[in-house]
Amino acid sequence: MTHLTGRYFGQSGPLFWLYIRTSLLTLVTLGIYRFWAKTRIRKYVWSASAGGEDSFEYTGTGLEKFLGFLVAIVILAIFLGFLNLILAFIGLNVIGVFEGSAADVTQIIVIYANFIALIPLFLFAAYRARRYKMARTRWRGLRFGMDQGAWGYVARALGHGLLAILTLGLLLPRATFYLEKYMVDRSWYGDAKFSQGGKWTALYPGLKHVAIAFAIIIVGAGLGVALNAPGLAGLAGFVGYIWMLIGFVYYRVSAFNYMMRERRLDGVVTFDAQAETGRVVTIALIGMLAVFGAMIAAGLVFLLVGMAVGFGAAFSGGPVDPDALGAGIFVLSAVGVLLYAAVLLMIGGINLVMITQKVIAHVIASVTVANAPHLDQIQQRAADTGADAEGFADALDIGGAI
Amino acid sequence: MRSISAARSDVPTGRFYDGEGGLRLDVEVEVDRAAGTLILRHADLPDGAQYWPLGAMRALKDQARADQMVLTLADMEAVDAGLITTARLSITGRDAIRTIRGAAPNIDKRDVKAGTFRKIGIYAASAVGAVALMVFVILPGLADQLAPLIPIEREVRWGKAVVSQMGRFLGEGSSEELTCEGAEGLAALTRMEERLTGPEGLGYNIDITVFDIDMVNAFAAPGGQIVLTRGLISAAPGADAVAGVLAHEIAHVDNRDVTRNALRIAGSAGLLSMALGDFAGGAIVVGVTQMVIDNSYTREAEFAADAYALDMLGAADVSGEGFAAFFDVLSKREGRLGVKLPEYLSTHPDTPGRAQRARDYAAEQGATRPVLTEADWAALQKVCG
Repeated sequence: MTHLTGRYFGQSGPLFWLYIRTSLLTLVTLGIYRFWAKTRIRKYVWSASAGGEDSFEYTGTGLEKFLGFLVAIVILAIFLGFLNLILAFIGLNVIGVFEGSAADVTQIIVIYANFIALIPLFLFAAYRARRYKMARTRWRGLRFGMDQGAWGYVARALGHGLLAILTLGLLLPRATFYLEKYMVDRSWYGDAKFSQGGKWTALYPGLKHVAIAFAIIIVGAGLGVALNAPGLAGLAGFVGYIWMLIGFVYYRVSAFNYMMRERRLDGVVTFDAQAETGRVVTIALIGMLAVFGAMIAAGLVFLLVGMAVGFGAAFSGGPVDPDALGAGIFVLSAVGVLLYAAVLLMIGGINLVMITQKVIAHVIASVTVANAPHLDQIQQRAADTGADAEGFADALDIGGAI
Repeated sequence: MRSISAARSDVPTGRFYDGEGGLRLDVEVEVDRAAGTLILRHADLPDGAQYWPLGAMRALKDQARADQMVLTLADMEAVDAGLITTARLSITGRDAIRTIRGAAPNIDKRDVKAGTFRKIGIYAASAVGAVALMVFVILPGLADQLAPLIPIEREVRWGKAVVSQMGRFLGEGSSEELTCEGAEGLAALTRMEERLTGPEGLGYNIDITVFDIDMVNAFAAPGGQIVLTRGLISAAPGADAVAGVLAHEIAHVDNRDVTRNALRIAGSAGLLSMALGDFAGGAIVVGVTQMVIDNSYTREAEFAADAYALDMLGAADVSGEGFAAFFDVLSKREGRLGVKLPEYLSTHPDTPGRAQRARDYAAEQGATRPVLTEADWAALQKVCG
């Protein structure tokens, strides 16, 4: 057998309850358990993902994440504290310097300066987080790893991002390609290096649905103005917007497939990926429906309890006893708070189980590894202890569910 | 894949990776209870076998697959140096999993390194200490240094903008509609201000406005803009009480408290939500904690403004008793409302304490004379018509 196929063993029930259990622990520890919670969820998802018979293993610990976070928070508190204060000072100094629209512009710049100053940090954190996850992933007992290079990534991401924005998105594929290549070219499995081949222009076909969406919006707006039919322009805008959302999913999926096919390990092991946009979109739609369903159910429960309290007061006979009314309001607000927490947990759980996990399952199952016997010769690599356990990503709250 | 299989059907097997290379060995496993080991047999292993101490064996946790159990070895000094913690043994089959689980006593044990809790304590205490130092010492200090660097004209402009928005903020319509126009009353207020600030005045042009609203309140906006409310003037037991409040607000102006506070709060904004993270209900905790920090800034400023106001009253030969009497009125009103926030949640220091400090100051004062004539006080009370 020279091929290995990706397999996913995860199930909805166990992961959902793992999520609920760890989220409750996070709640009662005022958020401190979240590092352990994320680690446990990762352990589950990694162990559910397999190449051939062998599952991946996540060896990160909640403890190291917590300590990495504590270090990051101090650095960020110092950096952000000074940054915010200086920006506020500049903001107060420019009040009233300009009149009219210039004043509005300076206001906006001062407000967004804060966010713009954070972008390099977000990029830095994103690279470090990926490096940490790689360093804590094993397969067949061998470690993955990633070289240092977060600042190089920040510089490139800023440059490519700026180019993509200045060209109104025309150079987006270039940014996508080179940023992913930067990371892949620094990635390792054991002593074997990954390398990213291919060319960035090959990502253009993936943008076709985004282009169609643009065309729909522009033609719709044009026709709407020409025929004086705002309804037509609105409809075209709506259709174009939905088309664009799906178009970007199509872009991401086709970029993933292409870059996976052009990727090599040790120069000989090759990959194939056949992820499908239709499947990803279907999963997301069903998941969103389930989230709406959960929200409606929670609303109904709240309504029923409210009605029960109201009826109780109305049928108690005679004048309403203020104590009973107070108790009713207390019950109602307690139910409200509990339901609020429960709904948030449910939504998080449903998102994780019905969207995130199912998309991961689909993507992993779409990957095939060719020339697999070469993997037998790969040797272990040294542990990467230098990573900050993605403390910056945790402090800046990026990275999502997993 | 070169899977070297020597498995007989009746013997449990496992997929073994030695932790140094990617080659898989399908080993036969056997529990040797007498020796306390799990024997892994394969022709390609050194000496044909490896012996895993049952007590050092651990199963990976939070695993998704029910069809296999992945075993690893704990990092223990007692374990043979030839065995390494990166080695992995995957056992498949229900019976084999059950047998090995039964034989390995510590299979679900969590290994916590000695000194871990100490380490957590040191890290957490240092982080909290460093962030607290930043929020309570460094940022306020820097804000205090920067505030005087802002030109007064900018502060005045900003203050005017704040005052003109205040009416909308209070939900009472535009500030222009709210402003009281009684000329004699305003003249009396100006005389009161001049008496308090003395002949040389302050660096600021004090600009006092009276809002026609019931609320008992007074604000100092940046750049010398002071707002008193009609409710405050009616509730005040006398002109000396209004003078105390006015002196307090002038103290805020001269200390540039609003500007300093804006800078301090801007500096610490968002640090907490970052530290506490985003979890269900977390927003409430963040909100309350942010309030405690922000209010500790203002409480400190209020305390200083009270002391400054008393000195101002003293220098103008106005009795501090009026200021104390005003706090008595405030205490009574707070008592009637029936809710009293604990001091750390409140923007102002505890009211009876403030009354006491004013009264103590008054007791030490020499001869005093009323801040306004009877006629001026009557005019001030009618400033809103």
